[in-house]
Amino acid sequence: MRRPALLAQLAAPCALVVAVALLGTLVSRSSEGYFVDSLVKVAIVVALYVFIGNSGVLSFGHVSFVALGAWTAGVLSVPTAEKPAIMPNLAHFLRGTTVGNVPSLLLAALAGGVFALVVGLALMRLSGLAAGIATFGVLEITHNVLRYYEKIGPGLNTFSSVPETTGLWQASIGALIAIGVAFAYQRSRFGRMLRATREDAPAASAVGISVYRQRLGAFVLSGVLAGLAGGLYVHLLPMNTESLYLDLTFVTLAMLVVGGATSLWGAVVGALAVSALDSFLAQAENGVKVFGGTLDLPAGTRLVVVGVLMALVLILRPAGLTGGREFSLPRWRRP
Amino acid sequence: MTVLVVENLEVRYGAVRAVRGLSLTVEPGEIVGLIGPNGAGKSSTLHAIMGAAPVAAGDVRLAGASLVGRKPEDVARSGIALVPEGRRIFGELSVEENLRLGLAGRRSQAGADDAVERAYELFPIVRDFRRRTAGALSGGQQQQLAIARALVAEPDVLLLDEPSLGLAPRIVDVVFDALAAIRESGLAVLLVEQRAQRTVALADRCHVLSNGELRLTLDRDDAADTEKLVAAYFS
Amino acid sequence: MILGILNVDWQTLADALALGAVYALMAVGIGLVFGVLRLVNFAYGQLVMAGAYALAFASQWNWPRWAGILLCFAIVLALSLVMDRLVFRPLRTQSPAVMLVATFAVAFLLQSVALLWFGPLGKIASSLAPLNRPVVISGVDIRKIAIVAVVVAVLCLVAVQLLLARTTVGLQMRAAAMDFRTARMLGVRANRVIGGAVLISGALAAVVAIMLTVQTPLVTPDFALRDTIVVLAGVVLGGLNRLVPATLGGFAIGFASGLLGGALPTTQSQYLPSILFAAVILVLLIRPNGLFTRGRESLERV
Ligand SMILES: Nc1ncnc2c1ncn2[C@@H]1O[C@H](COP(=O)(O)OP(=O)(O)OP(=O)(O)O)[C@@H](O)[C@H]1O
Ligand SMILES: [Mg+2]
Repeated sequence: MRRPALLAQLAAPCALVVAVALLGTLVSRSSEGYFVDSLVKVAIVVALYVFIGNSGVLSFGHVSFVALGAWTAGVLSVPTAEKPAIMPNLAHFLRGTTVGNVPSLLLAALAGGVFALVVGLALMRLSGLAAGIATFGVLEITHNVLRYYEKIGPGLNTFSSVPETTGLWQASIGALIAIGVAFAYQRSRFGRMLRATREDAPAASAVGISVYRQRLGAFVLSGVLAGLAGGLYVHLLPMNTESLYLDLTFVTLAMLVVGGATSLWGAVVGALAVSALDSFLAQAENGVKVFGGTLDLPAGTRLVVVGVLMALVLILRPAGLTGGREFSLPRWRRP
Repeated sequence: MTVLVVENLEVRYGAVRAVRGLSLTVEPGEIVGLIGPNGAGKSSTLHAIMGAAPVAAGDVRLAGASLVGRKPEDVARSGIALVPEGRRIFGELSVEENLRLGLAGRRSQAGADDAVERAYELFPIVRDFRRRTAGALSGGQQQQLAIARALVAEPDVLLLDEPSLGLAPRIVDVVFDALAAIRESGLAVLLVEQRAQRTVALADRCHVLSNGELRLTLDRDDAADTEKLVAAYFS
Repeated sequence: MILGILNVDWQTLADALALGAVYALMAVGIGLVFGVLRLVNFAYGQLVMAGAYALAFASQWNWPRWAGILLCFAIVLALSLVMDRLVFRPLRTQSPAVMLVATFAVAFLLQSVALLWFGPLGKIASSLAPLNRPVVISGVDIRKIAIVAVVVAVLCLVAVQLLLARTTVGLQMRAAAMDFRTARMLGVRANRVIGGAVLISGALAAVVAIMLTVQTPLVTPDFALRDTIVVLAGVVLGGLNRLVPATLGGFAIGFASGLLGGALPTTQSQYLPSILFAAVILVLLIRPNGLFTRGRESLERV
């Protein structure tokens, strides 16, 4: 492919992220949170894309990696003095350990990656429905354990007192890292091999590609990115296990599908488009002024609209808004 | 009166043009053969008639009414029955249940028992094994079942896709004899085959299809003319 | 003896059987639709939820019991048909993965609609509550609902079985589940068999709604959501390709979770979902096509 076209494929999603971040600096302090949130969502959805988009295998389990990343970064970032208050039963070695912001994010990424490796070693043999159910099982187990196992976190409590370091800066850097890694991966030999298995798994194995290994590689990589995103997430707002469960799984999958699951551009566009809509509706649930009138939607409208949108896109345009294609500059035909 | 008319039929799967500009007609009481090498577009033609393959252009008419754009089940119910390639027996169902599925294509349920009875008379083996699991039948028995299943719908037109595929010569005789008897009863038969010589000998007319296009038409006397057959196949 | 080791009393056993029976019904509902459409209906639980709300409103309005049950059936059947029309039909040509995600979206949509309309607090469906009282059978207390659930489930399963085995549309549904394309070319009407499967599946969802509201009278937007996830796991575990293995899978996972939930002390039973899903994953790894199917059948072509 021509270099400028290739560059545009990477530059377009990055530019979108930067634009959102810049826009975020212009709005009020209270609205800024929505922008930061949407950037973290970009990181999560790109993480999802690295596996689902390239392999074509469905995963309902990625929020597990986000959750473990959040737990890792959260537990390690709460100031030692405040730990006993929110996490009275914390394991001894975690009680006295507190690390800085950046190390906590790196450890979150590491935790996500290691967890994905362990899960993937077993699960990457499955595909189709079995894979869907098994990854769902992983989500259930993670949610269940984090909820009740108080030696490694706050359990049912909300993760408060985590330094809120995730602002526009860190969130956009995180999103850009995710995009860069995803791009580098899909251009690499491994990315191309995995895409070959997505198009025609038997043919790919026939030419000597190990479907299992390629899927595992992508799974671990997406686990790393999801863990990182989870770290960013916990540094953004106080959360509990319920914020890292079905709703987040649904919303992030919706973003990926609405944008177009088979392209990085689709993942980023989907994450930002659904986020924008979602934040607008969230505001509207508290009453906003539009076109002179006040729009005051009942609580719960958000998920309805996002659900309708996702179902509509799936039914009318299953390849997503971008058609599942990478960004390309408008082409001028030569005479 | 001509019962089945295929006119300038064009079948496309994406970029693949499987059938190009095919025209043929079948009259009641007539067997029309359609032969040609693998991938010639024979099955595609039958599927297009059934409404199960995309028709890009052209027309298919049954007794004057166009079938293009109708659902497969509606085509079946309007009087065309297909014996599909590879027989497509429901192996886990009993022989009798397979036959009863064929009744779904009838225009009226009245007289269904008689139709089943006639199918049993044509293929006694199907009656003998009616309680067995269809998957346990031999290939030849399954083929007879597949034809019986098509016949219980009492169609005007019978389409057969390579009914002799993989059968022992003795069973091929049984099947071809049955086809001759079916012709006697006044059905219009469109027979897709690979066994060129036998098909040309049986059919009233035989079209040779290659690469989606009609190459030439042979009549019964050409069956003995090996050279002409070879030329038709390998040109 | 095993019961002794697990420290299970007869009541727990009866409740576990009842849960298994209800899950078996859900498994049949999901399996029937999968058979003809190759679609795993994630939104099945929301049909049950809708039926449960119907029962709750009926008891709020002090309707007689039979009227509430009738309303439950009417709502669930109507919703099933609407779902088929608006969602399943346009999706028929899509890949199984797309269909799974789409029904996942529908599940969420319906749940959010319930949240929007009925609020998060829930409503009480109380008209059938007397079924929760125990009867004493040879000295053992057994809740009436446990007996009712098992009996009703067996009756429903027999009815479905008869329908599939003895009627023309049942035969056509079985054929369509094996080879839809050929069935259609024989004249089997696609919309009719799909409609039949959707309706039976809906009727079963209504029955499930009635059984579940007796056990859990508080109806919230996420009613039956967790049950559906567990049943889906059970169904895939048993083998989705055939109805009997799928049903067995549903029963097995319901029975196991009922038994473990009753037998384990609270400190451990809170980890029940983990134990259950770990077992599911383990079984899927060993037998990806299902526990109760024969070896070589492949699940699907994703
Ligand atoms: N569903 C399909 N999608 C795409 N291409 C198809 C499809 N069905 C058939 N084709 C193509 O159309 C062409 C004609 O196929 P068709 O099955 O009609 O041939 P045929 O004459 O019946 O061959 P055979 O003797 O092997 O049965 C072939 O090139 C085949 O690959
Ligand atoms: Mg063919």
